[in-house]
Amino acid sequence: MIDPISRPDRFAAGAAPEPRTLDELVQARIDGRLSRRGLLRRAVALGFAAPVIGVMLHAAGDVAAAAPARQDKQPIPVTGPTKPAGEAQTGGTVTVGSNSEPDTLHPYITQLVAASDVIWGMMDGLFTYDSEQKLAPRLATAYSISDDGLTYTFTLREGVSFHNGDAFTGEDVVNSWKIIMNPDFGAFNQNGWDKIDDITVDGSTVTMRTTEVYAPFLSYVADTRICPSSAIAKGVDVFKQEFGRAPIGTGPFTFGEWRAKEQITLDKFDGYWGEPAHLDRIIYRIVPDDNTLMVQLRTGEVQACGSGAGIPPTRVDEALGFDTIDVLQHATLGWNHIDLKNVDFIRMTKVRQALDFATPSKDIIEKLLKGRALPSVADQAPGSWAFDPDIQPRPYDLEQAKQLLAEAGLTPGDGGVLQGKIPTDDPQVGDGEVKPFEIELWFVSGNTDNERIAQVVAQSWNSLGVKTTVKNQDISTIWGPEGYQFTPQMTGALFGWFNGNDPTDAYYWNSSQIPSTPTGSGGNLPAYFHHYNFQEEIDKLTTAGDATTDQEARKQIYFQIQELLHEEVPVIFIDWEVAFPGVAKNIGGFWPSAFNYLLWNAGEWYLT
Amino acid sequence: MLRFTIRRLLGAIPLLLGVSVLSFAFMQLAPGGPDALFARNARMTTAQLEQIRHNMGLDRPVPEQLLVWIGNLLRGDLGMSYAQYRPVSQVIGDVFPNTVVLMAAGLTISLAASLGFGILAARNPYGVFDNVTSFFSYFGLAMPVFWFGLMLQLLFAVHLGWLPSAGMYSAAGGGGLGDLLRHLALPAFTIAIGSIAGWSRYVRSSTLEQFGQDYVRTARAKGLAEQRVVRGHVLRNALIPFVTVVAIDAPLYLTGAVLTETVFSWPGMGRLFYDSLTVRDYPVLMGTLMLGAALIVAGNLIADLVYGVLDPRISLR
Repeated sequence: MIDPISRPDRFAAGAAPEPRTLDELVQARIDGRLSRRGLLRRAVALGFAAPVIGVMLHAAGDVAAAAPARQDKQPIPVTGPTKPAGEAQTGGTVTVGSNSEPDTLHPYITQLVAASDVIWGMMDGLFTYDSEQKLAPRLATAYSISDDGLTYTFTLREGVSFHNGDAFTGEDVVNSWKIIMNPDFGAFNQNGWDKIDDITVDGSTVTMRTTEVYAPFLSYVADTRICPSSAIAKGVDVFKQEFGRAPIGTGPFTFGEWRAKEQITLDKFDGYWGEPAHLDRIIYRIVPDDNTLMVQLRTGEVQACGSGAGIPPTRVDEALGFDTIDVLQHATLGWNHIDLKNVDFIRMTKVRQALDFATPSKDIIEKLLKGRALPSVADQAPGSWAFDPDIQPRPYDLEQAKQLLAEAGLTPGDGGVLQGKIPTDDPQVGDGEVKPFEIELWFVSGNTDNERIAQVVAQSWNSLGVKTTVKNQDISTIWGPEGYQFTPQMTGALFGWFNGNDPTDAYYWNSSQIPSTPTGSGGNLPAYFHHYNFQEEIDKLTTAGDATTDQEARKQIYFQIQELLHEEVPVIFIDWEVAFPGVAKNIGGFWPSAFNYLLWNAGEWYLT
Repeated sequence: MLRFTIRRLLGAIPLLLGVSVLSFAFMQLAPGGPDALFARNARMTTAQLEQIRHNMGLDRPVPEQLLVWIGNLLRGDLGMSYAQYRPVSQVIGDVFPNTVVLMAAGLTISLAASLGFGILAARNPYGVFDNVTSFFSYFGLAMPVFWFGLMLQLLFAVHLGWLPSAGMYSAAGGGGLGDLLRHLALPAFTIAIGSIAGWSRYVRSSTLEQFGQDYVRTARAKGLAEQRVVRGHVLRNALIPFVTVVAIDAPLYLTGAVLTETVFSWPGMGRLFYDSLTVRDYPVLMGTLMLGAALIVAGNLIADLVYGVLDPRISLR
């Protein structure tokens, strides 16, 4: 029995017995006869785990001593919906916190994850990706693909109505397609929809005929939210403006209210086609400051966060100390890398490999990112069916790096900076003008993780004699036509790409994705000045990957691509981001993942 | 005075036009653009990008963009936000009232506190109270405002649990004056700290200056109570320059306070401006800059008018 009151005079001076049980140890601590460290040391020696002692001390009122428990707590990997103990209730409100406000709630024009997080609670697609990356039926109950891979047939669900009372029909699918492809409307993402030649509706059957075999078709089209024809009929401008501020869908929640920069309210939809939502209301609260978001999670003002705005990896330890919050963890489809502009020495495979050898990715992940990320060797996420598990990352090896640079004809010049002849016709042979190896390493300002990574990498590269200068710019400048990617000098840049649910990666590597001018579009930026030395090969592979619907055949293609990328190092792969959603311990059904958006199953969330 | 007001208002028109041309030019000079984020989306096609530029009007020459903007402004149309796809007047109209609420509360607190502290300090210069307030004034000026915000949040929201940590109303079941005041307390006080620190020094020195004047000695010599000397004579004279300072500072308040608004999730103009700047939402930036310029012009005009009222020796022509 522990006495919570501190009594240093419990025993006469020198008469205190040596504490032998946990109770006695805790009592000695409370009475001030034992330091906290002393207590922990002895308790561990007695075979007790630190968290247990923390709980004991906490119970005894020594709040500060509970802190050591924190280190042993780890985020919980997401394997299914949260299942808190206790009875599921019907009704109640959950407040979700986010550091970014949606630009618009229009599914066809938003650019922000935050917006999709909210939209997914209100609107359905024909299918939706569940948290195991499988297409789950929503507005359609089934689909089939013709043998030639060109025609997709969907069976629509019957008895579905929109929030405004309109019945959902195949015409809504047709009109959604038309508005997405309407140039005056300016949809943000036309992927997949732009391959459709014609859509025919026959009762509850919708048939889409496409112009070419395009493997990622379903991943885009089936997962697109469908809008009601009556809203689309209001015209391009009204549909864009009004619908973007008050969307109408078929989901378990209806749009309630949007108070700018403050919050968006979603209310339960009584006419929902499936199981009605357990909750009455979800509030999406805008909390722009990460500190404040942590405070609100702690005070319970915010009960969940994730996806567009999870707990920042560097604050996970702090959040693990909150009593009422579980910190979850799941992999993502976002990969961080150093984008290497394909000019001068960087055109040589050996130089790129050398820079990879000289980039301490393992230490970056373990030390800078506190182990809260996964290693990356190529562009497919670990866990994806297209991921090649056999590729090993290059070790951090400055000797090999030096060797490769020497083989590329680079020798120390003024001030120890390497210099050599740059390649002209053959990218692998240095036969042109002599240049020093000076490279700029860019990051987007405000990204403190990347800032630290850039400094570590620069230090390592500098030690090789590659003169590296760290630079940064704000996001609208760095991606603009004056950005680093369009300057003539050698550059690297730290940033992340996000893959879709389909492994297609043509937009990163295919020569058709090289911007034609600095204001042009396309993801293959490093090859703006020169095609890669392996351009032909990767063009063939990425095109084949898109044109094959057989998953096993595609898998082999993407394995080949990953091997090629690892061999050629067009970019230096660093890590796969890991996401840390936070959720109050009394919320059930919460099941975030990288494959969908936060509110995708909000109808199944409940309070206990 | 009416003629003076009209003349000043007419004079403001070319001034504001000048401000608009300059703001527009500076915005164009900044590298990058509103289409940069679209362009760097790996899944966007060139045709789509061209269309988006066309819809934004970015495919027209810059001078033409400015003329179109001014033409629309004269018709009372501030244009469409690039980032939010709705009229700028709506975008600003949604958050401006929130800023007015926060700033009115902040101003009230800082006015009351800086007058009180300043006058008390001046009554006994270099005394204990004066030294203490001057210490805290420098402290208040030296520490960054977000630090105060975070400390207040930690103390009152986390440890004491008396006040909500952020927001303008409670997320669920919020609304009403009481809820607003509870949310208002911390950000309003945070915003006021900087002004209290500066203004109280100002009030102190201008009050102190008056205490040394002949008319104060006269007032005391004729046997007036100290209270009447201070209230009837010293303050009236000491506050004239202070009113000017406040009238000129106050409009700056209304353009928002990014840091305080961010820490306390206050849905105001400062955050709107910062967010719009990040994505180069030119129409919203132009709208907020013009609103700010107009408020400053108005603040200056009011300062001049009040000056005339407080000091009959000044005549406005």
